[in-house]
Amino acid sequence: MRRIYSVALNTFRESVREKLLYLVIIYAMILLVSVFILSPLSVGVAKGKIVTDVGLAGISILGILTAIIVGSNLVHKEVDKKAVLMVLARPVSRAEYVIGKFAGVSLSLAVLIGLMTAVLVVMMLLGGAALTPAVFLAVGLSIVEIGLIIAVMIFFSTFTTPILTSFFTICIFVAGTLSGDLRLFAQKFGGKAMNYVMDILYFTLPNLKVFNLRHEAVHGLRYSASEILLPAAYGIVYTCAMLYFAWLVFRRREFS
Amino acid sequence: MEVLQVDGVKKSFRGDMSFTSREILHGVSFSAGTGEILGFLGPNGAGKTTTIKIILNLLRPDSGSVQIFGKTLGNRSVMKKVGYLPENPYIYPHLTLSEFLRFCADLSDVPVKEVASRVRKAISLLGLEEHANRRTKGFSKGMLQRAGIAQAILHDPDLLILDEPFSGLDPIGRKTVKDILIDLKGRGKTIFFSSHILPDMEALCDRACIIKDGIVIRTVGLADVFRMGEGMVEITARGCLVSELEPVSRYMDTVAVNGEEIFLVVKKRELVRTVVQHLYNRGAEVLNVSNHHPSLEDVFLDEINEKRTEERKGAEKKHYAGHATGGGKQ
Repeated sequence: MRRIYSVALNTFRESVREKLLYLVIIYAMILLVSVFILSPLSVGVAKGKIVTDVGLAGISILGILTAIIVGSNLVHKEVDKKAVLMVLARPVSRAEYVIGKFAGVSLSLAVLIGLMTAVLVVMMLLGGAALTPAVFLAVGLSIVEIGLIIAVMIFFSTFTTPILTSFFTICIFVAGTLSGDLRLFAQKFGGKAMNYVMDILYFTLPNLKVFNLRHEAVHGLRYSASEILLPAAYGIVYTCAMLYFAWLVFRRREFS
Repeated sequence: MEVLQVDGVKKSFRGDMSFTSREILHGVSFSAGTGEILGFLGPNGAGKTTTIKIILNLLRPDSGSVQIFGKTLGNRSVMKKVGYLPENPYIYPHLTLSEFLRFCADLSDVPVKEVASRVRKAISLLGLEEHANRRTKGFSKGMLQRAGIAQAILHDPDLLILDEPFSGLDPIGRKTVKDILIDLKGRGKTIFFSSHILPDMEALCDRACIIKDGIVIRTVGLADVFRMGEGMVEITARGCLVSELEPVSRYMDTVAVNGEEIFLVVKKRELVRTVVQHLYNRGAEVLNVSNHHPSLEDVFLDEINEKRTEERKGAEKKHYAGHATGGGKQ
């Protein structure tokens, strides 16, 4: 546990010292623009709803983008610079290394999202929006979604380059967001083969749509506990599976 | 007990765009015992770093075996007893030196209570006190090398594996590292290191293992190297042509030319008078006569079959075999 903690702390420090948290400033600026520029232009929509909507979407998008930027280089840089040699020549297992890296990036993103959420809360209070538990639950599910994306990135970064890691992850993110809709489309208009392909994609790719509770949070709609717990459990299981596959690849890896 | 035992290790690599693999190591075997310093010597591309990485389980051998403290690769309890310095170590630039060493101590399972004192001690041993709280981003190559050595010895390992430990170090740094290694040997630690700096290796090693083209061609004890020249005498002279030495060439082990000077190694002490007399008869001036002490470099170059480097002035020397015996160096 101590070794995982050390690898995670080192990764977290690297992210923080490379000024990752400055992204909060960009996020705050996006929210300010939404409050002071977009709100007066939106007829019939309460200012508070715009802040909440833009704020939650911003957290999700900025979080995913940051995860892709930080995560793409994660393992590759250490292998390329040979920093990994000094780590793995110690009593550190490959599994501990993979989990430590995941925990470090996840912690960095969690802190970033925590700060962005704090900014959002302030802006919501200023904008007169209702601060409901749904807002925090929506942020929580975003964190689970981003954790899953980080695990996908770590899987790819154990065997490919940063550019390909980013590319594959973006593809999975897009496909994972749209797979439900594409499956429905195929069921209505596609043939048998198309249906079959879309079913495979739907059940193998992560279904990222289930992590979206923003609509309920913005409009104050009702939601059940299962809408929170099932996606959270699904995200955690999928993340663990991706980390397991990452370990399977990484434990066979040689460092020439 | 052998601390490190490498037996018949073979390793092949496949090129990025190739379906065929090329064997880099062809059955490397050697061993190192408790409290021994074993040097690993070889030209570039001989397979030194590949062998070291196999020992550390960073590469998998195609065949053969490696045992450390009698246990096979990847054993966690064994890895706690091993310290490793890679060639050109990468020290995380976002960390201060203290943070980096603390990170390494945690990974090596150094007891939490001892981490701070071990880090301080390692920093002090390598003379990096002034830089302890500086980020390593601005460190010079020599400082990074010292930091790399600090992380290797931090957890007081019983086996130290160092890949080019003197690379990038200034004379003071080299002296510091040599002193540390001698101290560790005195405490019963086993040290296995590769280096291109032969005088340093000669000063430290009990034995040197010479590898060429992926195979260990010779393991030689340093005491044996020094004994090799027993009874031989070196003569430096000028004002004489090599061709004029033909009548006494059978008495000589080595003849080398450096500008106007001729460097001779006479095989036996009792033949010196004859050779010197011959030189005087040819009108040559004898500049120096002294006992011959072959170096590890001599042995290494003999084994590697490359041109010998001038010992005294760094100039290139030419060798030829003694005509009478058919022996000598090329």
